[in-house]
Amino acid sequence: MAAGRGPARGPTGAAFERRGRAAAAMAEEALEDGRTARTLPSLRQLSRALPFARSHGRLGVSASGRLTVPALCSQESADPQQTAFALRKAWTLYSVTPLHRFRRSRLSDYARLLSAFIAAEKQKGLAVEVGVELDIKVALSSLAELRGSELDQAALLVQLSSRSRASSKNSEDKLVWSGWFCSMFGDELSENVPENFTCLPLFLTHGAESYTSLVGSWFQKTFDCCFRRLAISPLNLSWMVAMWAGYKLERAASAVELVFSMPCLSQPLDISYAIHPEDAKALWDTVQKTPGEITQGEVDVFMDCLYAHFHRHFKIHLSAAKLVKVSTGIASAHCDGIVKILHSQYLPGVLMLLTELAISQIQ
Amino acid sequence: MMRHGAGSDWSVRKAGAGSTGASEAAGPRRVRRSRDSAHRCPLSEGSEHSSERTHSNSPGRQPAPHPSARTRPRFPGGSIMDATVAEYIRRTVLKMPKDEIKMMLQKWGFLSEAQLQTLNFHQIKDNISHEVVQLCEENSADIKQAAALDIIYNHIYQNKRMWSVYQMKKSGEEDEYFDIADFKKKFKRRIRSALKNVTITFKEYEDNAIWIRVAWGTPYKKPNQYKPSYVVYHSQTPYIFISASMLKSNLPLLCQALIVASNYHDIREMELRSHSLNSLKDIVFKRYSQNFETYTPKPLQGGNVEPENADIRIIHENGREKERIHRLNQEAFGSGPQPQLEFAQYKLETMFKSGPKMDVLDKKEPFRCLVKFSSPHLLESLKSLAPAGMADAPLSPLLTCIPHKARNYFKIREKKKSFVSP
Repeated sequence: MAAGRGPARGPTGAAFERRGRAAAAMAEEALEDGRTARTLPSLRQLSRALPFARSHGRLGVSASGRLTVPALCSQESADPQQTAFALRKAWTLYSVTPLHRFRRSRLSDYARLLSAFIAAEKQKGLAVEVGVELDIKVALSSLAELRGSELDQAALLVQLSSRSRASSKNSEDKLVWSGWFCSMFGDELSENVPENFTCLPLFLTHGAESYTSLVGSWFQKTFDCCFRRLAISPLNLSWMVAMWAGYKLERAASAVELVFSMPCLSQPLDISYAIHPEDAKALWDTVQKTPGEITQGEVDVFMDCLYAHFHRHFKIHLSAAKLVKVSTGIASAHCDGIVKILHSQYLPGVLMLLTELAISQIQ
Repeated sequence: MMRHGAGSDWSVRKAGAGSTGASEAAGPRRVRRSRDSAHRCPLSEGSEHSSERTHSNSPGRQPAPHPSARTRPRFPGGSIMDATVAEYIRRTVLKMPKDEIKMMLQKWGFLSEAQLQTLNFHQIKDNISHEVVQLCEENSADIKQAAALDIIYNHIYQNKRMWSVYQMKKSGEEDEYFDIADFKKKFKRRIRSALKNVTITFKEYEDNAIWIRVAWGTPYKKPNQYKPSYVVYHSQTPYIFISASMLKSNLPLLCQALIVASNYHDIREMELRSHSLNSLKDIVFKRYSQNFETYTPKPLQGGNVEPENADIRIIHENGREKERIHRLNQEAFGSGPQPQLEFAQYKLETMFKSGPKMDVLDKKEPFRCLVKFSSPHLLESLKSLAPAGMADAPLSPLLTCIPHKARNYFKIREKKKSFVSP
């Protein structure tokens, strides 16, 4: 019954094709016997243009698998304060095409212009909050450390704070919305764009949808870029859960949870399948053959093991269900493009995955 | 004892300090209480909040009496009811859907038909609630009547609450004749012997269900009327349904009082929870259509899974398989409507067994998982899994046993796949 899943997964690699690798052509055939051939790691099987495969000599990774724990660009001077804002918040994901004529030196000008834009939109009646009169203050800042390689652009953080007019002058500003542009090892994209373009393909937002659309439309008008919601396919979610389940966490971590939704039933059915983190890691450790690398075949085996265990008890084919959310002690991700990152140590790794997804959506 | 002079208690109240923000279970902020001085809390004299200006009708932390409650003329000789009672009644009315308020008030029976006629049910609910409170003041409602109204609302909207099921055990005596008055007396006595500050209300329904509402306080605080427990007991059965939105610390006392009052000697919680009270009753009272393990011959001419297509050119290739699945489903679930449950939870502590070709995990310890199924109508959706091709037929007994075993929480351990109770 699980075989029915095979063909469904293969073509979801738009991610496969975009790499333009010769191996991609072999990907379709290799898929079927990828699992049986896993005991003989052949180049053919391993180099199936994996969605997250990399060719960075810099990271010491072969063309075959991928490194699982990349470090931030300037890890030595990494300031946990800088990245703390990104943790433990649910971020909504977008892909952004390269920004035209974006100048880092003009951040304060941009902040002013965006602030004026938001005020003007509110005047027009596209008010975001009813009742309370709010002044929205805009702050743009560069986060030099939030990037992967030297080729990446530094991340750009946009924060909207409000100060109620009624309250006193020296009251605290309240952060109502934040969003940041980021590129983590997004060289694939930045190699290929002409001058004058800034590549920050991943956009993460937290806050009211109305503010997101205001900020997005200003950026679109000013820098001629395009935003699109970034959905995460079940294939990519299974990659994430396999990868994250294998990470070592010092403290007692939360369970590795997969949430499935059963389509096409008379009554909708949701299934939450949560595995003790130690047991999930133990399973993944026996599946993963080369530390530091993950292949599609290994992810398939991992998922098949989980499906088989479930089927043994309940006779239900989870492979026929839609994986909608995965959650581990490292991070959680929802198929609608919402992620939450819990551990600063693994922030670069998660961002790298998301950058790849964003890039594949743009291209 | 407060003076009854025409302006005296207004001045007492206005002299009071501002609202302390205490919970509504604190001492009564009374308007006036002529008869029953036992309710007076020593703290409340003069602690009325000056809320004429700052009061708002929206549910704040402290339900304050509406300003109009004070400015209305008082009735000669009559007492005005407790402000907390008035507020509680007002909020209960606000919970009701607008087109059902009249029906519920009629069921309540506290206001006369003539009084109900005076109500304008076409205005906004806020105003309706105030008018109802006014009428209740005319009749001097007290907390008992307010609690009765709350039971009526919760009986009709029982599915908004989450219910757990408990089973009582007798020590093997003959079934005694059930005396409702005796039951009530013993129940109240047992609870009150441990805790004085409680409000206990009973209501009996036609289907032999006894509804009990208990609002809990502490030795120092009045009962919190906004977080009561509800108990439903069918006297001919050993089952108790308790609505779980209450302080867990009061649960043992409640259980004790129930077994004392009903002449049982033990009570245990079943692993069965749902919003649908009727479905829980269906399951434990075995009122759903079960399938008994008798031999049923293959239905003649194939039990029609779908209406036969008139066009004979259309052939269902897997018609046999469909019939087989349908038949197995019937055997497992029965043919009638299923009781409505919202979830089932399984704690798995079984060994992980790898497939033949995979050389993966082969630990000697269990593979610990927690699986939770949720659906608006769980059993119906499980029933439809096999016909939809997403599960094998017959479906696993872990799922089909839910109604028979009357449980939706399971712990499964590796013992030749038999059920091990927790």
